[in-house]
Amino acid sequence: MRRSLPATLVVVVGLILLADFVIVNRSLAAVAGTLLEYLVLLAAAAAIAGGLALAMRHVGDLRHARGDRPGSLLLLAGMAVMLVGGFFPGSGGADGPLVRWLVGALLAPLVAALFALLFFFLLAAARRGLRLRSRETTVMLLAAAVALILLLPLGGVAGRWLAAVAGWTLDVPIGAVFRGLLIGVAIATAVAAARILLAIDGTVEE
Amino acid sequence: MPNIGDLIGRVVGVLGEVLGSSSLRLGIGPTLAIAGILLILLSLVARPTSRWLTRDLGRLSAVGRSMALAAESGASVAFSLGTAGIVRSVPAAARLQTLAALPILAHVARAAARSGVPMEVTTNDPVAAMLAESTVLEAHRGTETLERASRSRIAYIGEGRATAAAHALASEPRPGAAFVIGGLGEEGLLLLDGFARDARSTSFGTAAASQATSVLLEGEGTLIGPQLYQAPSDLGRAGHDRIAVFAGNRLAWISLAVLLVGSALVAVGGADLASFLVGH
Repeated sequence: MRRSLPATLVVVVGLILLADFVIVNRSLAAVAGTLLEYLVLLAAAAAIAGGLALAMRHVGDLRHARGDRPGSLLLLAGMAVMLVGGFFPGSGGADGPLVRWLVGALLAPLVAALFALLFFFLLAAARRGLRLRSRETTVMLLAAAVALILLLPLGGVAGRWLAAVAGWTLDVPIGAVFRGLLIGVAIATAVAAARILLAIDGTVEE
Repeated sequence: MPNIGDLIGRVVGVLGEVLGSSSLRLGIGPTLAIAGILLILLSLVARPTSRWLTRDLGRLSAVGRSMALAAESGASVAFSLGTAGIVRSVPAAARLQTLAALPILAHVARAAARSGVPMEVTTNDPVAAMLAESTVLEAHRGTETLERASRSRIAYIGEGRATAAAHALASEPRPGAAFVIGGLGEEGLLLLDGFARDARSTSFGTAAASQATSVLLEGEGTLIGPQLYQAPSDLGRAGHDRIAVFAGNRLAWISLAVLLVGSALVAVGGADLASFLVGH
């Protein structure tokens, strides 16, 4: 019974949304719309619950002197500053000037700085890949080097020839591999979705 | 008092009214195509286990050994459900990857529970965290090790892909096994590197085509593209089933080789291998 109730809910909701996708009917559209509103509500409630859980966990870490205490303190201070900025009377919530400044002047540069590390981590990953499976990684890195050479911004006959070869490489061999991967993923995704819709869940018994 | 005939008549009338006031959104052709695809999918899900391509996807069959090593050294196991989540604002295909990762989490959690290895599951989605908590608890219940459940921790680390990557990079190194299975984005390489650092064994997987290279470079065991969805099916197979498929695969390759060699021999005017094999 505990397993059948969620499974029934999933099947019923899934079939209603699927039917609404292919059939134009006012009543069906109203039911599907209500269900989607519930989904948005669920997501909002989950976000609040998640935030509370995160705050409680770090408060617990501070109280019991465990984990990264300065990190916990920083996280709680950040949450408090953002909440004050959003809830301050007349601030306009997420569009408030303090919130926008915090996002634009603090969060965005931090995220940009983090992603700027990608190049260095790519080099470290290549080294790690060579250690794990040298043959495959060598082929991958050689292919990447060839692609880089082909995409060099050169002029003249050599430049045009390189550009033509680069275009052919991207459209034919690389394009074929990418399309094959995407088609495989799409089929597997559809099968996984159908399994969830039909309540054939992935729980594995051993 | 209305009889059953009247009741059925009314139900049929209501159904007819609903059908009469409805129309097909996509027209008859596309609707039939969608119905046909659904039928094909149904035939596929009727046998959800891969039959002819089974192998040790993502080195998941080595999970038991990894747990034994982790238990010996007193290490923990780290598991990330990727960064797509369940209710985050991402495409549905990315969310499905999180759902596909749950059976793999269950497999790892059972092995960890049996070996007494604490798990730390991290996710940036509160609903995924809730599902992970249920999965780990169910694993302890299934292995009758509920007393060890409190040692494992499921952590919601906050919203955003960058948060997950930063958390992985800033966390203390984990000498045990590390798993990152689920949807990944541009932060993939950072997240994987954070988890791979000092881990004795790693299994990474995603169906995001753009992150396939990150997984291939960072992980010992890899699940690329459709393999993420195939792996949970393979986990459910009993040992003798897997051995039968391995043997079947080898027989298929041997048969192909015999056909090719025989054809080549006949083409160059050599011995007729087919006649020799059938005793003529």
